[in-house]
Amino acid sequence: MAARGQRSAKRRSGCFLVMFSGVKPDKRSKVKGITQLGSRSSSSSSHSSNSNTTRSNSSSGSGGSSSSSSNNKGGGCKSHSGSSSGSSSGSGSPPAGTPPHTQMASHESLNSESKSSSLNSKLGHESGGSPSPPKSACSSTSTTSTDHHHTNHQVSHVLTATSKMTVRDGSRTLRPDEPPLVPGEQLEGTAREVTYLCPYVGPKKGTLSVTNYRLIFRSPETDPPFELEVPLGVVSRIEKVGGANTSRGENSYGIEIFCKDIRNLRFAHKQNDSQYSMHLKRDMHISVFRRYRVRHNFAGYGASQTSEENHSRRMVTEKLLQYAFPASHKLPFFAFGYNEQYQERGWSVYEPIAELKRQGLPTESWRITRINEQYELCETYPAVWAVPAAASDNDLRNVAAFRSRGRIPVLSWIHPESQATITRCAQPLVGVSGKRSRDDEAYIQHIMDANAQSHKIFIMDARPSVNAVANKAKGGGYESEDAYQNAEVQFLDIHNIHVMRESLRKLQEVCYPHIDNSHWLSNLEATHWLDHIRCVLSGALRIADKVESHKTSVVVHCSDGWDRTAQLTALSMLMLDGYYRTIPGFAVLLEKEWLSFGHKFAQRVGHGDDRHQDADRSPVFLQFVDCVWQILKQFPHAFQFTEDMLITILDHLYSCLFGTFLYNSERERIEKEVKTKTVSLWSLILSNKADFENPLYSANTKHHVLFPRTSMRHLCLWDKYYCRWNPSMRQQEPVHIRYKELLHVKEQLEKHVDELRKELAARQTHDSPRVASAIV
Amino acid sequence: MNSHRKGTPSARFTTYIDFEERPIDVPEETNVDEEKIEPHLLPGEIMIARANNVLKFAPLKANRTGISGTLFVTNFKVSFVTSLPVETKERDMHSRSLQNRFLGVHDVCLSEVDMVNQFSEDSAKKKRLLYNTQMPPRLSGLQLVLKSLRVINFSFKFTPTGEDIRVAQALLHHAFPTSIDHLFLSCGYAPSSPGIPDFCRPADWEHELQRTRCPNWRVSKHNEFFNLCASLPTVLVVPRDLLDAQLEQAAQHFQGTRPPVWCWGTPAGAALVRMAQISPSITDKQQENRMMGLVHRCHPMRLQPKIFDLDQILPSLKEIQISYIKLRELHTPDDPTQFWEQDRHYFSRLESSRWLSHVSKCLEVAQNAATAILHQNSSVILQDASGCDLSAVISSLVQLLLDPHVRTIRGFHCLIQKEWVALGHPFTKRLGHTRNQVEEQSPVWLLFLDCVYQVSLQHHTALEFTSEYLVALWHAAHCSLHSSFMFNSVSAKYSASDVLQRENPQQPIYLRPVWSWWAENKSIIENEQNGSDEEPLDCKTSAREAFLNVHYIQKLFKSLAISGAVRRISDPLSSAYHTWQHIDCLMGETRQLPYDPATPIVPLQLDGSLRLDTSLSNLRPWLNCFCAWLSEPAMLTLNDSESLLKDSSPASHHWSHIHEMYNTMKDLLSQNLTNGAAQ
Repeated sequence: MAARGQRSAKRRSGCFLVMFSGVKPDKRSKVKGITQLGSRSSSSSSHSSNSNTTRSNSSSGSGGSSSSSSNNKGGGCKSHSGSSSGSSSGSGSPPAGTPPHTQMASHESLNSESKSSSLNSKLGHESGGSPSPPKSACSSTSTTSTDHHHTNHQVSHVLTATSKMTVRDGSRTLRPDEPPLVPGEQLEGTAREVTYLCPYVGPKKGTLSVTNYRLIFRSPETDPPFELEVPLGVVSRIEKVGGANTSRGENSYGIEIFCKDIRNLRFAHKQNDSQYSMHLKRDMHISVFRRYRVRHNFAGYGASQTSEENHSRRMVTEKLLQYAFPASHKLPFFAFGYNEQYQERGWSVYEPIAELKRQGLPTESWRITRINEQYELCETYPAVWAVPAAASDNDLRNVAAFRSRGRIPVLSWIHPESQATITRCAQPLVGVSGKRSRDDEAYIQHIMDANAQSHKIFIMDARPSVNAVANKAKGGGYESEDAYQNAEVQFLDIHNIHVMRESLRKLQEVCYPHIDNSHWLSNLEATHWLDHIRCVLSGALRIADKVESHKTSVVVHCSDGWDRTAQLTALSMLMLDGYYRTIPGFAVLLEKEWLSFGHKFAQRVGHGDDRHQDADRSPVFLQFVDCVWQILKQFPHAFQFTEDMLITILDHLYSCLFGTFLYNSERERIEKEVKTKTVSLWSLILSNKADFENPLYSANTKHHVLFPRTSMRHLCLWDKYYCRWNPSMRQQEPVHIRYKELLHVKEQLEKHVDELRKELAARQTHDSPRVASAIV
Repeated sequence: MNSHRKGTPSARFTTYIDFEERPIDVPEETNVDEEKIEPHLLPGEIMIARANNVLKFAPLKANRTGISGTLFVTNFKVSFVTSLPVETKERDMHSRSLQNRFLGVHDVCLSEVDMVNQFSEDSAKKKRLLYNTQMPPRLSGLQLVLKSLRVINFSFKFTPTGEDIRVAQALLHHAFPTSIDHLFLSCGYAPSSPGIPDFCRPADWEHELQRTRCPNWRVSKHNEFFNLCASLPTVLVVPRDLLDAQLEQAAQHFQGTRPPVWCWGTPAGAALVRMAQISPSITDKQQENRMMGLVHRCHPMRLQPKIFDLDQILPSLKEIQISYIKLRELHTPDDPTQFWEQDRHYFSRLESSRWLSHVSKCLEVAQNAATAILHQNSSVILQDASGCDLSAVISSLVQLLLDPHVRTIRGFHCLIQKEWVALGHPFTKRLGHTRNQVEEQSPVWLLFLDCVYQVSLQHHTALEFTSEYLVALWHAAHCSLHSSFMFNSVSAKYSASDVLQRENPQQPIYLRPVWSWWAENKSIIENEQNGSDEEPLDCKTSAREAFLNVHYIQKLFKSLAISGAVRRISDPLSSAYHTWQHIDCLMGETRQLPYDPATPIVPLQLDGSLRLDTSLSNLRPWLNCFCAWLSEPAMLTLNDSESLLKDSSPASHHWSHIHEMYNTMKDLLSQNLTNGAAQ
């Protein structure tokens, strides 16, 4: 146990982080290699992020390629590190046997192996998916396939091995099939002779283990072993594959796991002939047999056999269901068992009062109120609000009665100079009869009056106007301009959660597992995903423009004010205020606009819930992060973080490793004591800030407003996220990685120059003429 | 003005429909005596028509700002003269163009004009004007659609009657000449030597044979007077065993009497050969087979050559032109409404233009050919109808993929000079420089540049130049003063030059290759006209930085950063020395060509090919080129507020570090040198 504890301290979390690509320039090739292989990369726990890798580097340097295989045997060093970091322009993997460092320092000593393939190494290096070089190290592995993905795959495993070796040196050696666990994780079951049907590299036979946090698949077929780790939190549903009719062929019988992160995993079980015939004997009637089989597939394929082997299979599947859907099984989330220690305490990153003070509150016109301390006035709102000073507590109560679910207009952001504000709320309860509320009208007037610069206020209704009108039938609606003097209502045409969910489903069909090249663009367009992104972005842009350029306050709402409203306020704040573009600032933005104002993460994501068809699920937050990425792409200097942080956040949105995104509202989180019983995602991020830092960031952009371009042609699919499992998708190497490399080169060069200078100076004092002539 | 905007914010969104009705937000010129305004004329340039009080509009500005000035048509350009400040976008584009030495910010070369549309008074619809169209009595405005996918609108609302028609007629007459020698091709200033071989002299080809060390081929001077083939240069490279007499006999059997020619090869003997199809009138394939047999025999290992029949596997010229027209439609909207309407379906429209799929096919074929040469060591014969269109694309791409020299700026210039200019890509026909050849138009050149763009995207550090430079090359192909991209062949260039000489016996005729830009330090025209006090040198620095790939230079520095390399830098035999010389040429203060033309070119070293991912999902639309002039119509009120962050390219960050590194190194070297001298 002590050993484990020590080990775990070294690790980060068990999550499938992206690898902070190119942490140090000379690691890049490694990262690249790993990226190639979509399938395994998925996986998980990046416990090894940076510092580990750094360590790794030195050891890999000495280790050389030959040691890699022995190392793998030693086993447990996993390197998920790489997981998905899709860096890699030249994503081709370096040839087998060449340790990454040799690759980079190509002029330096090449070992004999890499020399033999140095031509190819170049090839591989320069190009994606290179048809494989003759590979010396790899040829010994079992596969003979010449399919080039496959080769890449193998190749990347060599790399993986190299990084593995380093990740956990010093920790105890595990049995080959025993995965290293994160603190609080327990192995729950193991099934052998399972085949993972990778859509890219073909079937892999190996061992499937389930813990209370994730599933781990290891295949020793290749050297180093193929690994796949998936936190069970990403599982959306588990289905059986193959019935009596269809399961004749090899690998046609097993389970398919549908994940929330745009991929599906298929595992097949060996068809046992005796088992098969036994069924036949018992139930001669074929349709009965079919039904029987189907049921058993689900419970644990081939349960009729009593051998230990089959027993463990059934158990594994049961455990899988149990831990993938803890909420449905009345189990706690894994986050409550996870007890990693981090240097930084993420829960303290956001203090509502401190954030309001940062914005300059309280002012003459705005006050801070704790009227909702007990969550009585509005149970989905936070405890602390900033409201117009002119409105009394009683006014607030009256307004709450007129706003859907009591979500009254509350301050999100105030312009430091013009005092123009962004406030957010839910729709007014106008209804078919066109009800009015004097208090609500006065309240909006107070908000307008709080900004002396303008005699107008905009009410941005995120919905298409048709939907806003239709909501009247359900008692909702929108503000009539007759009732609200000086207010102008604008509709932003953003569709509802159901449309977004459908759009993402289509997107997944287009992206995973294979891409239809001949219709790629039109298929992409037909998903409308980017169209929706464009709408959200231009809506946020319009809000930012009103606040910045017109110095006019804006009230934002949709129906309930927790989906589209959160997207719009958070994005426009991101455009307006450079603080939110820093790492802690972004954490504050999410904590404030998304978490404290009650975006229903539990419902929208469906944490631990097996009702995969629940109509409340929707990728609203994903869409927001995508929008952030689009802005980041247009303004590479303006953000302190890189897209890796965004991917990490999204991965942990599903993983249930951290308490951050659990439950629907601040009130629920307090009730469940999330802050004391779980770890915050920000602990991970703030403790490893260096990994997420954008080297291109220039701090003076903090005072700038970003107005991104929102035409379709300037948006693009975030392939590093959506297509990350597909090794054939060439991801653009992010510019920040090249920048890091540049800085490294510069540093090297300066070091050499410095050495030379010193040497020169030293020699000159002794024997100058000779030295000078020698060097000149 | 501000208050006006603020007062009626919503009004701005309503009035796009009628060109006439646009609220005109015109800054007035003050104290200018109209008659005194003159365009800047080059020697030999003649002013043909002028129109006063013309308004120039950037078409997609929601607030409809036009600027007023005087519009001139000369025999070289459409010139708009105003004293008002220039838009940043226009100035940026101008500073990064290869014709900024002789065209001002508001000038447009006549051969750049693709279409002229009129807005007349009685109808709101635009109508295309052809050179033979009957003019209406009065024009309310003109719209120029340029080949660089740019749209410029002029309004004649305040122009004295008659001047509008005169300008339009002059424009139509001179922008679409009947013959290439009617264009303004020479301007009296001798161009600087570009330092690039023109592949018209035997030495240039011999050099290329030596550089590639490709055995068994020889230089033939049999085409000395273009007697053999008009589309080839006077010198060509043919199999060693082929006698000149046989060459002449064989040539007759091919289209355009164009025999197969060698254009590149490897030391191992694989040659890259371009060949036209057999003439349709000839049924006998004997000569074709014979030539293939000769190519076969040239290979030291007698390997069978691979033949790529490009007419079969690549889109036809017609299809390329159709795609281009769709592309042009998609990128030249008239107003914001149309822009947003197109934008909604941008991806599917782009796909249905099939442009990217053409690019993908070209890359795929080039990749296959490169693989055949590199891995199977077999010669490759590229065959297309006339031997000078798609074979040029593929041949150039193959060399780009295989030959590291071609990925440098100098090598790329040589490549274009060799494959496109010397081997006779018919630029006049394909780019429609004259009015008679509408049927034969097809932007093969753009297709090639787009392919190179995709290569640069997939291999950030491989090319010495940026995609900005490729855009500049596309734009440069429409300026008549760049002789490189004006003619159908070398012989056509000579005869045009003869005609010009006969017409002006006193004046020297200078045809200026586009590469001269790199060697020129000063603009021919003064910058006085736009009232900008910009230093021309600064302008050049920024253009160089835009054209040079910072990541390529970074790669050079990286090889110096290896321990020990710095130490060897002053040893002329070391590679570090050459790397440093290379860097010094790129960044040094002389800032002439990217290389000193005197440095010998190193022999070809195949260091492996660039692998491309040619699937459509991995290609990107070339927005830098297609949307070069198309800025998103503003949805916002304040565009130029100081608090806004302009999306500056991350390259500037990189450049500042590269400069620091350069200075550190330079500093070190100069210290050593002075120390040495002092002793």
